[in-house]
Amino acid sequence: MSSDASIIVLSFQIALVATGVTLPVGMLIAWLLARKQFHGKFALDVFVSLPLALPPVVVGYALLWLVGTHSWFGSLGESVFGSTLAFTWIAAALAAAVVSLPLVVRSFTAALAGVDPRLEVAARGLGSGSFRTFFTITLPLAYRGVIAGALLGFVRALSEFGATIVVAGNIPGRTQTIPAAIFTRISAGDSDAAWRLTIVSILLGVMALATHNWLLKLSSTVSRDSSEVG
Amino acid sequence: MISFDLRIDRRGFSFDVSGQFDEGVTAVFGPSGAGKTTLLNCLAGSMRPDSGSIEIDGENVYSSADGIWVRPEKRRIGTVYQDGALFPHLSVRRNIDFGWKLVPAEQRRLDPLEIVELLGLSDLLERMPSELSGGERQRVAIARALAISPRLFLLDEPLASLDVARKGSILNYLKRVHDEFKIPMVYVSHSVTEVVSIASHAMLIRDGSVLGFDRPSALLLTAALDGSSVERFENILHGVVGESTDQLTTIEIDRISISTRHQNKNPGEKVVVSLGANQIILAPSEPNQLSARNVLKGRVKEIWSSNGKVFAEVDVGPEIIVELTESALNELGISVRSDVFLIFKSSSVDVFDA
Repeated sequence: MSSDASIIVLSFQIALVATGVTLPVGMLIAWLLARKQFHGKFALDVFVSLPLALPPVVVGYALLWLVGTHSWFGSLGESVFGSTLAFTWIAAALAAAVVSLPLVVRSFTAALAGVDPRLEVAARGLGSGSFRTFFTITLPLAYRGVIAGALLGFVRALSEFGATIVVAGNIPGRTQTIPAAIFTRISAGDSDAAWRLTIVSILLGVMALATHNWLLKLSSTVSRDSSEVG
Repeated sequence: MISFDLRIDRRGFSFDVSGQFDEGVTAVFGPSGAGKTTLLNCLAGSMRPDSGSIEIDGENVYSSADGIWVRPEKRRIGTVYQDGALFPHLSVRRNIDFGWKLVPAEQRRLDPLEIVELLGLSDLLERMPSELSGGERQRVAIARALAISPRLFLLDEPLASLDVARKGSILNYLKRVHDEFKIPMVYVSHSVTEVVSIASHAMLIRDGSVLGFDRPSALLLTAALDGSSVERFENILHGVVGESTDQLTTIEIDRISISTRHQNKNPGEKVVVSLGANQIILAPSEPNQLSARNVLKGRVKEIWSSNGKVFAEVDVGPEIIVELTESALNELGISVRSDVFLIFKSSSVDVFDA
């Protein structure tokens, strides 16, 4: 059995990589949903949110098919990493990313919706391209919501179990995350060891959610203050 | 100089506006929903029309025929919005610098320091937008738009959220800006009085098309005759401030003088006076014991009617147009060349700096 510390470190590694993926991808999708009108917007929204409505096992099974050697994505992964991605920590990170993406996109969309689009129009008129406008106006005004959303995505990635176990397995030292280890320990009847990781999970969850809520409360009072003056 | 020809055809909204704006100040007015803001958005590039063209100083920034569409950030058109739209996370200084920094050095014609000075913002540079009053915000918004050395200056109801005193002061700043920098200005407003004191041309828009394009006072007359497009006809008179008491200020116009509410102005200052045609009472003989402070004797030069309204042009020194009803006209027995008296309250007169 792996030590608690190594399980926690591996879980953080997987969740961080997953968040590293969902942050830019989620931001791009949220920006499209909040600011652009295009064909297929509805479909994109549904597709991104789908993992919220599906059993994680189904998501994991779909990912297993995707990273398998018979899909182009799978063969691409195989040629890059030298072997199939299935049952590696990268697959675990991918599963965590897919499952946390809807939460991230939703949080980011709400954060972007809180920024007055006329400020972006004003910035464009002052000579700032859409890229610069996003980084100098939109993001600074939405950053609390963005950090809160990233945090939410991170804890969701940390607690991912169903999809991960299908696509990455439960291999100690390689793909065994905190939830998977708790499952193994419960199955083995080792309730003391299971409780240790359970308490770690609860602590991490409480901390992350408290910070998340504090950030959102902060950003809503800030925007209310400025609207009162205006 | 900017010329444009813009067409939009969408369900429930059709827009077909063309024209040419030169160095002066052009007022665009009309009722809400007329398409004033659509015009500004198309010029600024935040909205793309279905077809047409826009040319600024000989450069095509939009041509549907040639497939040209210059993005807003490449147009160098300064826009001032109704509530300023200042960036709330940036100080006044950084708001003003925002666009200035993005203009290539060889295209910078205006110095931000000079702009800041002209708009009286020197002491506010380190403040955040939330710490500014409404009037200060608008001045910062004007400075920010000027800092990009715009080829065209668009003002979208810039005074709508301000009180009367602040309106006057912002108008003064705009006049200074125009005198100093000679940038063509397009000033959109639903309020006619606001615009007349600074505009050299006026464009009247309704239901997405141009009803008139002329000198402001001439166009106001058209608007009044048209009836529904403008709520009332304004007489616009140029005068000079005379004596003031605690409550009243006298304005000298040609050979006559009229009383207005007390103005914080010095004798001799030039002003523009606006007086609604429907604010004036017409009497066939001299009234006595009235609360109204202004009674002017004159002679009717012309009478005409339009859309159920009757207008009389009365020569009292300057010529003043009075709106009245058909029945009143008949009962009073007033006709062309009748001697009449015009009566109006001092509070019916709006005074602007010339």
